[in-house]
Amino acid sequence: MKVVYCGGCNPHIDREAVAADLPQDDPDVPRGATVHVSGCLRACASDHQLVAEGDGRAGAGAEGASAGPERPPVIVVAGELVDGVPTPSSELAAAVTRKLKE
Amino acid sequence: MALKTPEEFVQSLADLHLQIYLFGEKVDDYVNHPLIRPSINCMAMTYELAAMPEYEDLMLATSHLTGEKINRFTHIHQSAEDLAKKVKMQRLLGQKTGSCFQRCVGMDAVNALYSVTWETDQARGTDYHERFKKYLRYLQEEDLVADGAMTDPKGDRSLPPHQQPDPDVYVHIVEKRDDGIVVRGAKAHQTGACNSHEIIVMPTIAMREGDEDFAVSFSCPANAEGVSYIYGRQSCDTRKLEETDLDVGNMRFGGQEALMVFDDVFVPWEHVYMCGEIEFSGALVERFAGFHRQSYGGCKVGVGDVLIGAAALAAEYNGVARASHIKDKIIEMTHLNETLFSCGLACSYEGVKMPAGNWQIDMLLANVCKQNITRFPYEIARLAEDIAGGLMVTMPSAQDLADEKIGPIVEKFLVGTCDTPVIDRMRVLRLIENLTLGAGAVGYRTESLHGAGSPQAQRIMIARQSNLNHKKELAKAIAEVGKPWEKSRVKKPTAVAG
Repeated sequence: MKVVYCGGCNPHIDREAVAADLPQDDPDVPRGATVHVSGCLRACASDHQLVAEGDGRAGAGAEGASAGPERPPVIVVAGELVDGVPTPSSELAAAVTRKLKE
Repeated sequence: MALKTPEEFVQSLADLHLQIYLFGEKVDDYVNHPLIRPSINCMAMTYELAAMPEYEDLMLATSHLTGEKINRFTHIHQSAEDLAKKVKMQRLLGQKTGSCFQRCVGMDAVNALYSVTWETDQARGTDYHERFKKYLRYLQEEDLVADGAMTDPKGDRSLPPHQQPDPDVYVHIVEKRDDGIVVRGAKAHQTGACNSHEIIVMPTIAMREGDEDFAVSFSCPANAEGVSYIYGRQSCDTRKLEETDLDVGNMRFGGQEALMVFDDVFVPWEHVYMCGEIEFSGALVERFAGFHRQSYGGCKVGVGDVLIGAAALAAEYNGVARASHIKDKIIEMTHLNETLFSCGLACSYEGVKMPAGNWQIDMLLANVCKQNITRFPYEIARLAEDIAGGLMVTMPSAQDLADEKIGPIVEKFLVGTCDTPVIDRMRVLRLIENLTLGAGAVGYRTESLHGAGSPQAQRIMIARQSNLNHKKELAKAIAEVGKPWEKSRVKKPTAVAG
């Protein structure tokens, strides 16, 4: 699984802690999954998108479904948002993990 | 449907036969009323510039719904560049009108509702977003003006809507029927309301339990049965009734506000976008306010450009343009104005793509933008008045200047630099008067203070997003707070010889 960080100039969350709590070598997480971790709502890690473009999961934003189900998941953490859904900072890693396994 | 021409816009407005009251009387021919027409001219400018190739890059956009070219005022922002072009378009229109041109509220309303309806549907399984997109397509294809109506009169501010002695001080649902809802109440300070084809109503505050009937968003035609408008007065407004252009200061353009009344207005379900979902009312308020706070980083800057130009001309006509303190004041005005523009652009370029697919401004920077707007235009206006001199408020009238006997006396004593006609000097001074304390000051000053939310509303948003804990941690790290301190390593400084 790949973690992409923003530059870290305005962290509202502990980005490293979120990344550290993500599952490692978990067979239920699809290969090639990516997690964009931005410290704030500006979502610089995912090029200012609160839901990643081209994410294949159904319901991943208004336009996500068009990308096709075979593509690995891409999750966006932007401050206390996971794919645009408000999530307390203590639950960010768990929420991302759930989404990775959906 | 093609984009409307300015003439088609004015005719379409006349065809609505709106229920407008002014000075205690119903105004039937409102498009030709001298108090109202300048504000219609402002709105018409949003159509006029859209038809000019040299402004097309800012004034037009491509609809993400139809792929057709549309007026940007009906556009859902599709990128950070779109957000920035919105601000630049607003600056352009402020420059061309020297006034509030009123069409932003509808644009900000549709952009806020676009994401909120999508998120409501995700959470509640409703179909607001599809309804709303259908309506949006109608606005785009017909090139319509929509009034984004948010501010309720609010009555006793210490009480929530459902505890108000008269619940009508907040727009609310009085009846739910199989085919729609019936609403009652009013919206205050409605900019451009009488120049709009459509009304988009949104709640004015985040609603709590018990306020479900007040958590309502819908659209209706501006001439829907039961909707009426009581036109707001402006400083020096009756000068527009005089048979002269000089003393108005800005003859062709002006702003407009009205008290909009809903007297049991029926709204079919297909035009209802929120109906009791209190948990989404706060998001709608914040997003509309955020977009509108960004808007001011464009429109007020454009008007500021006009005022700075007028101040520079006044200095020129007075023969003091080369004085160092005058140059410095013009620089200060420019610095303040461009700072406002920077804020408008910054919150645009730091915007994000929402899960609904539209782009939204950075909320913190948009609120910082508006907070500066509550201050800087006042300082720009003060400097303009300083440069203009007292004559801008003591000058004789146009009738005096036109009088056979008094006119030559006025001309003799109001002369400035030799090559400047007195009438032009008077025109510029009247323009400064208009913008700083006349009818134009409604838009440039008080609207800058209270429009899109009063200063405290921005400060609450700034506090919420300021990330203060992070700042404290930064300070602790630099100051080495918490690190053990060894007294024994402290030495007295050695005196340095020489």
